[in-house]
Amino acid sequence: MTLFHFFNCAILTFGPHAVYYSATPLSEYDTLRTCVKAAVVYLATALVKLVCLATFLQVSETEVFDPYQEALKAMIGFIDVAGLYYALTQLTHRNISQNHKFQSVGLGWAFADSVLHRLAPLWVGARGLEFTWDYVLQGLEANANLVFTISLAALGSLMWLRKNKPKTLIPLIYICAVIISTMPSITSYLRRVMGWHFPKIVGFELITSLVMAFISCQLFILCQRPSL
Amino acid sequence: MADEKKSKPRHRTMVFESIYPVLALMLILVACVDLCDAATVVDVYRLIQYDISGVPFGSRFSSLNHHAASLSFQPGADLSRSVLILPLRELDIGFVQDYISQKQSLGGLLILLPQMFRPGNVGGGSNGLISETEGFRKLLAQLEKLLVHGNIPFPVYFAFENEETDAMLADVKKNDALGQQATATTGGYKLVISVSEPKKIASPTITNIQGWLPGSRADGDSNQLPTIAVVASYDTFGAAPALSVGSDSNGSGVVALLEVARLFSILYSNPKTRGRYNLLFALTSGGPYNYEGTQKWLKSLDQRMRESIDYAICLNSVGSWDNELLIHVSKPPDNVNVKQIFQGFSNVAEDLGFQVALKHKKINISNSRVAWEHEQFSRLRVTAATLSELSTPPELLEDAGSLSDTRQFVNEDGIIKGVKLVAESLARHIYGHQGKDIRIFADDSSLAVNPFYVRSWLDLLSQTPRVAPFLSKNEPLIMALKKELEDYTAEVSVQHESLEGSFTFYDSTKASLNIYQVASVTFDLLLLLVLGSYLIVLFSFLVITTRGLDDLISLFRRPPSRKVKMA
Repeated sequence: MTLFHFFNCAILTFGPHAVYYSATPLSEYDTLRTCVKAAVVYLATALVKLVCLATFLQVSETEVFDPYQEALKAMIGFIDVAGLYYALTQLTHRNISQNHKFQSVGLGWAFADSVLHRLAPLWVGARGLEFTWDYVLQGLEANANLVFTISLAALGSLMWLRKNKPKTLIPLIYICAVIISTMPSITSYLRRVMGWHFPKIVGFELITSLVMAFISCQLFILCQRPSL
Repeated sequence: MADEKKSKPRHRTMVFESIYPVLALMLILVACVDLCDAATVVDVYRLIQYDISGVPFGSRFSSLNHHAASLSFQPGADLSRSVLILPLRELDIGFVQDYISQKQSLGGLLILLPQMFRPGNVGGGSNGLISETEGFRKLLAQLEKLLVHGNIPFPVYFAFENEETDAMLADVKKNDALGQQATATTGGYKLVISVSEPKKIASPTITNIQGWLPGSRADGDSNQLPTIAVVASYDTFGAAPALSVGSDSNGSGVVALLEVARLFSILYSNPKTRGRYNLLFALTSGGPYNYEGTQKWLKSLDQRMRESIDYAICLNSVGSWDNELLIHVSKPPDNVNVKQIFQGFSNVAEDLGFQVALKHKKINISNSRVAWEHEQFSRLRVTAATLSELSTPPELLEDAGSLSDTRQFVNEDGIIKGVKLVAESLARHIYGHQGKDIRIFADDSSLAVNPFYVRSWLDLLSQTPRVAPFLSKNEPLIMALKKELEDYTAEVSVQHESLEGSFTFYDSTKASLNIYQVASVTFDLLLLLVLGSYLIVLFSFLVITTRGLDDLISLFRRPPSRKVKMA
């Protein structure tokens, strides 16, 4: 029954990506290549982040929240944003509409993130006899991450690809983008300082991801109006 | 063109063939379900498994892979695929007896012992719990007797209570009380011990260590001097061989022998105080098995040496007594030698403030059971006596290092008094001071009995299980005892014999128990259902929001327009 549990957690972690791809018009317009390119960019970004973390960060023995270390981690987290910028703007995509571009880039990015961060622990851990809720919670976190990444990609495309935006909305766009990109720091703050346990953190992430998705959706629609 | 076509299928088969090893590797990886990440791992000790002349005794199996059950199970429930967890505190001997005698099938038995019986646990409980401790000891003795002499067709393990086992047991009891016995479909705890099947120990060896301290030869050969022997058997036997430390039986005897050897080595090191008797110290093995080691050692002695033995004193359990020690003999009490020995000992005892009593037990030659160690000497016509606190001889394979025989129940004052008794009596005999009121080993002299020595050796022996078939020839303990005797005596020889007779032993005495908390199959199915519906809902939601409801419906209906076109 342990492989069963692994299968369950795997479809929870990776299923939504496949579902997203097949359900939305992404599959009709054959945007797979864009997703793959975005995944490759994520890999490169992850490597750069790893090198930077290894060089600049001090490993603390205890789970103490050190503001300087966390600030440094947040700085390095912005490399993520830079990677996303590169994927959105510099890669030559075929003629796909902006709508689909950010979705496919976000999807590829989130899928690569899930695979790199969650597949190995899942394979090693979920197959054992001992039952824990950890892997189900990890899967839910992957779902939240997918929504976050797509929202971030949407906001990114708004920031860098769309030229005429209503002036009032620009700061809002930037604020939302900053919030989403610093989510890792926020969750680690919650875990260490406030002492929240994993289920609570995952719940918080899910709710926040839905809220952010709604906000970025609204922003996208609002910014689309003038071009019509 | 034909070549191209041929090369394409060949290329394809090559691709397929190269996939096979990858597939095989994947299958192997999938098959390796790792069982080593349990939340709780506990050290457990297996019940002994042995045969006497082919008749099996003890627990016959060792590996375990079943769900846990407790005593609160519903009556009539099938426990053949469960491991019953029995804490000693709630043990009912009658229940265990019924289970074994009626040969009811059980997946396994795990007995939880209180921490006080752990070999390294020296700190005794508070005085208020003495009666409780006595009750536990009696219960444990009864349980051991039952298990050691029964033939048990399921694995039996002993473990010590700790927080994790307590928590698990409480959980299991709660579930059992609700009637949800743990099986594959209802979840619960799974206990796994993965060891190989127990194998016979090929040729178990027993090792006797003897130390020879020669007396001063006036003129002539020292071999013509009379000899006095002090003997103690050092090995044990108990229900759990890995826990059988035998602090009293016979750790106390070994410690007493070593201290007597140390005192006499001081005396004999100076030629002026060397007596006209040789001293022979022997640490024998094979004690629980009718003192086989003693017999073999005696037979291996040179006949002249054996004949020169004036008398032998065997030490057996001198660690927990208060007022009276017993001297057991096999020759009748009116025998001259016996009278002399007893007189000497009782004089010294009177001086030291306690009593010795004489007990006579005749040897029955036709019975192969050897009750005391001195009987092996008597069978070879050597005068011998056993000094012990026990009034009746222990039964075969009992009281030779049981689970309740741990360090905290041994009183080192008893051992010290015993050492004084033996040393003074021997010294008065050797130096001819019988009846005189002289204390050679007085308390504040250089020949005083060293309580720290006694304590440190007793502590060491109380943490070393010493069941003879599981001791190798070069076991560290045997080397340590040999080195100790080498320090105190002139000549040390080690004799290895194989344990013949009707005993056969099986290995696998210690293992690690993995406790897993498992979820039931129904839970997994439920989770699959929930996830499946979640994905379907997600799919529908995305289709509706991005393509519209019509698209969703059209996914399920075959488009009629194509058929019209084909027609």
